[in-house]
Amino acid sequence: MIHLVDVSKKFPPTTEALKSANIHIEPGEFVSIVGQSGSGKTTIVRLLIAELPPDSGQVVIGGWDITNIKKRNISSLRRQIGVVFQDFKLLPKKTVFENVAFALQVAGATKSRIQTVVPQVLSIVDLQDKLARYPYELSGGEKQRVAIARALIHRPKVLLADEPTGNLDALNTKDIIDLLLKINEFGTTVVMVTHNKEIVNSLKRRVITLDDGLVVGDQKVGKYVI
Amino acid sequence: MFLLTLNRSILFALQSFWRNIWLSLATVFVIFLTLISVNLLLVVNVISDSAIVAVKDRIDVSVYFRPEVRESKVAEVKSHLEGLPQVKSIIYRSSEDNLEAFKEKHAGDVKIQETLKELSTNPMSATLVIKAKDLKDYPEILKAIDDPSFAGLIEEKNYDDNQLVISRINGIADTVRRAAYFVIGIFALISILIIFNTVRVAIFTHQNEIGIMKLVGASNWFIRSPFVLESVIAGIVAVFITIIFFYPLLSVLQPYVSSFFVGATFDLTGYFNTYFVYIFGTELLAITAVNIISSSIAIGKYLNV
Repeated sequence: MIHLVDVSKKFPPTTEALKSANIHIEPGEFVSIVGQSGSGKTTIVRLLIAELPPDSGQVVIGGWDITNIKKRNISSLRRQIGVVFQDFKLLPKKTVFENVAFALQVAGATKSRIQTVVPQVLSIVDLQDKLARYPYELSGGEKQRVAIARALIHRPKVLLADEPTGNLDALNTKDIIDLLLKINEFGTTVVMVTHNKEIVNSLKRRVITLDDGLVVGDQKVGKYVI
Repeated sequence: MFLLTLNRSILFALQSFWRNIWLSLATVFVIFLTLISVNLLLVVNVISDSAIVAVKDRIDVSVYFRPEVRESKVAEVKSHLEGLPQVKSIIYRSSEDNLEAFKEKHAGDVKIQETLKELSTNPMSATLVIKAKDLKDYPEILKAIDDPSFAGLIEEKNYDDNQLVISRINGIADTVRRAAYFVIGIFALISILIIFNTVRVAIFTHQNEIGIMKLVGASNWFIRSPFVLESVIAGIVAVFITIIFFYPLLSVLQPYVSSFFVGATFDLTGYFNTYFVYIFGTELLAITAVNIISSSIAIGKYLNV
């Protein structure tokens, strides 16, 4: 599903974010990418959503070689990948329904499709009763669930979660992890970037460890070791 | 699909226009000033052209025949001159017509009336009033009148050279036009800069939204188009306000224009009504083109998609 082959990425003047990284993720996997700040975790997410091009190597996602993806094709790629971030990236002046619908609107979905699909996805994340709420009326966990609902709206094969629990308390963190596991059970490949040791250890899933841009560990049932 | 996306782009553009209402109004105001100055220049053009036509219309050559020349001879001369390609029209006034006109003109002058009564014969002669097709044709016509074969027939010819008046009108109109072009240039430049700035500010205020649009897979066109459409909306609103404001302004100008054209009627409002679609349609297209170019440059510079 995801293949990074000898991928390197530098940021001027001297930062080497990734050094010949090789990562292969199969369909349906739940993978945690762990490492300290500056280890290159987020660079992987940015490469996978084509926000950055690699300096060298090859990036393939869902059979699509996006190493030299053309600008006009980036929007198609992003409709096939769901992404959630630590800071939720919700529009404050839009309701829960509108925030999720926005992803369909920009993709040119019809009004009737939006009216059908958005409530379905919001019920998956258990927010069917809060359609008309604004982000400021929601808890951190609920905001992240809205972001996950938006990421799922195009039925992606891959869900990238960059520090999805970074802004959440323990209870909300557990809720979000349970939700990601549920999404994974439905067949979606989940790649979670985190430095939350407890979560990674409790998941008992595959863990890829990065240190200073190098892949230093890849365990099928891994633990946070750094 | 395309119409749906276009509809949404227009909706986003309207939202942005409304959210930055003060900036939008400033943009509209400057475009409005540009359009008003363009229309005032048009008024100046129309007035000066009409004035020149009116003056040109008054230019003619009057040929006064000797009193003893017979009507048939005058008719011969008339027919000869009518054969000239430069001649537009010739009006024949008999000696009787001229006498009647003279009497009428001096109806209040007792002395002239008494003198005329004392005269046993008509002192007036027949006249030909000749109009040329073009101002530059008059020298040719005057040359033809000076033909030696007419020397014994013609007593006098009268040509009021209004070239001086025409060149003065042209001079004034040119000065006003130059000033207007300068004002239009300044306003157009300000319009371009303010549209550029409006789009720049809109991009900055929508940075969060743009980021999310990119994240959820909006196409480049979908991200960029609302900003271009917002500038187009500002242009449409400005043209609309110009129309609303300009007609009352024409009503204010009309009395001054009417006093300029003594004896003739010139309807400014009527002129703008006749050419409404042409004038305001062209202005709308021009301002839309300027806005699209200006906003596209701003988008290219500040919107990284």
